Amino acid sequence: MHHFITEGYVLPNQQHIYWTTMIVLYPYITGIVAGAFIISSLHHVFDKDELKPVSRFAMVMAFAFLLFATLPLLNHLGHPERALNIMFTPNATSAMAGFGFIYSTYLFILAVEIWLVYRTDIVHLYEHTKYPALKPVYWALALGVLDISEEAKKLDHKVMIFLASIGIPAACGLHGYVGFIFGAIKANPWWASPLMPVIFLLSAIVSGVAMVLICYLIIQWINGREIDGACVHALIETAWYFLIIDVTLELLELINHAYMANEDWAILKELVATKLFISFFVIQILLGSVLPFLAMGTVVVFKQRVPAAVRNVIGVVSGVLLLAQVGAMRWNVVMGGQMFSKSLRGFLNFQVDINGREGLIAGIVIFAMPFAVIFVFSRLLPLWGAVDTFPKAWMKKQPPERQPLRGWSKFSS
Amino acid sequence: MRHAGHFARLFALVAITVVGFFFVRSKVVPKDFGVKGHFRLSAIADEAAREPRHIGSSTCADCHDEIATAWRTGKHHTPQCENCHGPGLMHTKVIGEEPTKAYPDKMLAVSALAIKRPTGLTECKWCHLKTFERPSTLKSITNVEAHVVQHQGTFTAATKCIDCHNPHTTVVTPAKKVIQ
Amino acid sequence: MTGPLTPDDVSRRAFLETVAKTGGTSFLFGSLFVNTALLRLPQDEAKASAKARRETEIGKGVIYGFVVDTTKCIGCGSCVRACRAENGVPDGYNRTWVEQYTFYPDGEVVVNSPNGGENGFAEPPAPRNEPTVVDQAPVRGFFVPKLCNHCIDTPCIQVCPVGASYKTDEGVVLVDHERCVGCAYCVQACPFGSRYLDPVKLTADKCTWCYHRVTKGLLPACVASCPAEARIFGNVSDPSSTISHILATNRVQVLKSYLGTRPRTRYIGLDSEVI
Repeated sequence: MHHFITEGYVLPNQQHIYWTTMIVLYPYITGIVAGAFIISSLHHVFDKDELKPVSRFAMVMAFAFLLFATLPLLNHLGHPERALNIMFTPNATSAMAGFGFIYSTYLFILAVEIWLVYRTDIVHLYEHTKYPALKPVYWALALGVLDISEEAKKLDHKVMIFLASIGIPAACGLHGYVGFIFGAIKANPWWASPLMPVIFLLSAIVSGVAMVLICYLIIQWINGREIDGACVHALIETAWYFLIIDVTLELLELINHAYMANEDWAILKELVATKLFISFFVIQILLGSVLPFLAMGTVVVFKQRVPAAVRNVIGVVSGVLLLAQVGAMRWNVVMGGQMFSKSLRGFLNFQVDINGREGLIAGIVIFAMPFAVIFVFSRLLPLWGAVDTFPKAWMKKQPPERQPLRGWSKFSS
Repeated sequence: MRHAGHFARLFALVAITVVGFFFVRSKVVPKDFGVKGHFRLSAIADEAAREPRHIGSSTCADCHDEIATAWRTGKHHTPQCENCHGPGLMHTKVIGEEPTKAYPDKMLAVSALAIKRPTGLTECKWCHLKTFERPSTLKSITNVEAHVVQHQGTFTAATKCIDCHNPHTTVVTPAKKVIQ
Repeated sequence: MTGPLTPDDVSRRAFLETVAKTGGTSFLFGSLFVNTALLRLPQDEAKASAKARRETEIGKGVIYGFVVDTTKCIGCGSCVRACRAENGVPDGYNRTWVEQYTFYPDGEVVVNSPNGGENGFAEPPAPRNEPTVVDQAPVRGFFVPKLCNHCIDTPCIQVCPVGASYKTDEGVVLVDHERCVGCAYCVQACPFGSRYLDPVKLTADKCTWCYHRVTKGLLPACVASCPAEARIFGNVSDPSSTISHILATNRVQVLKSYLGTRPRTRYIGLDSEVI
């Protein structure tokens, strides 16, 4: 925590900002998890077949990001070695204490779901993988059980549907509680709002869908594979609907503050108009909400009349703008709430550290790690579709089926 | 249930994790946690056990009785000794040690270091420099130079309030060093 | 869903329906049960809240209180220096501080606290706005010392995830430096800015009302060092104590009372401009 330049009167202990890059990054990462999971659930639970091409990838992406969700928090804590205290002696009145349990539960649900989806492939690959060194890996992933009979697959399917269904409220919990952490703090007028959990959840979904959309388009382009138009359209549509609800609530929050004009409004007005002008009006609203709304809206309204190439470009560009929107929203909430003092008389000018424990570089490194995990995963198991859709890439050539010797048929089983 | 072997193994893994969690918890969480509320009970004693660093003017008076009497009976009895001289704990500790034959004076030298020697200027300004919000009953000056000049004194960079004002008795003895 | 229903679809739908039905009914009955169990009669409710509002129970042991008399503070900063020396408060952070309020003729109020008031106050601060009159002189001013309010309904203890923040029987709010993980949630939750994250200990910290002194019969360092008698500390459950007398004979206020934290630190002479 460094001293920052203050304007007006800032309370002595508030001349330091305590929650910085890592606390902006954490809800950003869990947000992408929630959105990606919604995409995969839309296919598994609600049978939106258009999303089938991305449903496996979305699940893996959700899992990869979820694996690293704790890292920004541990990096931020003064005593990360005591972090498990949150689970050993959780305070029932603290929303933050919910983190350990909500996170572990959700991680478990998602891990088991991916396991069940991929179990058949894991067993196939154990038996026929091109690389014998990976055999023990597949065996471990299968937990040593190689049963992929029809009955086992049916059971897997039932459990998977059940998990996907409870996974949706679990994802809502994982992201809703983050919003509650901010929304229930009466000490901070910029944060205190019952809308916070809902806004966080909706923007989470927007960011996750946007990330799936971008990754699908870019990865398929790079690998020269066909892009499923219906899938891209469905992703754009989903992102568009959630964007509309999300921005409506974000603006409602601000308008409500302005209309009620409480004691805190004078300083909040100045905060938004000056300190947060670029991050809020330019990035979050204009570039991040209005532009994607218009661009994606064109695709949703005009459907087939939009050429595929145009639609795909709109998809990628809008996706990037949406990721910027959600990032800016997290920034505006977390940093904005600390850039004015509880004295309601002063501001703090915040400069992002480049280096250091909570610096920009640390944030970028942490954010890049899930992609590394996705890459490693993709070397072990197919991200798009099952193993038998492209067996040549994964499995040894199967020996030809033995034909019974002519004339000896009555002796073969 | 047949064909559920993989689930059986999964449940086994989960059970081991849960049991492991509670085992580690029983070792790590202090036994006196949660006894009186959601906190570690011995933390109260830990906080209370810290040694106070300010000893109080009456303790200073135990050794420095003449200065203390002058201070208590004068007009300046409202600020405490430690307001200007800083906390006295280390000073009493060091003085408590027996001086040795080899170093009879070392103890005195060390004990003097263990308490702050006021500058005789900065400390006075804390209360007596005029600012609008201070009550007019509190005697204040606008700045040292103007005050010295007004009282026909010579102002130099080394001028201190205690050159004329005795901080303990508040007796004014112009242009004389009043502290040994 | 596209295409005709298959047996799988039928069984899946039936399964989802069952889950929804059982979930829905159990939620309904569960919430009814919980609400009736918690239901209290109006008379009981009134008694319970009256008891909760009473902060002291005479004869039940020591309960500490603090009064800040802003009409007496001269802004010397002795309290800030004494606290820093007594508790080893790191530079740049304050367990207590003094604010200077200066009022100008056009109605502007300037609040100032250079270094928390540690080196006293030399000059009134300049007005922020362009002065409409040349050499606009202040018309009114006072000092307000602030410290941890040791609230009755602490928002800081409420949000601590690990139980590192707690309250003693005497009503003093403390931090357990061996359990605190340094998440700084309590720092965010305090409406008064009393808390900070110690850069050396890497845990949350704040004014303790010098618990290590008051349990030995001494006064907090800030109270002992104040030359103007602007700070008063004592046992509020003892009707014969000085503080009880002051509370009984003065109109006292608290900071941000509308937030409902019920601070135990009371103020005499608090102006409406003090937030």
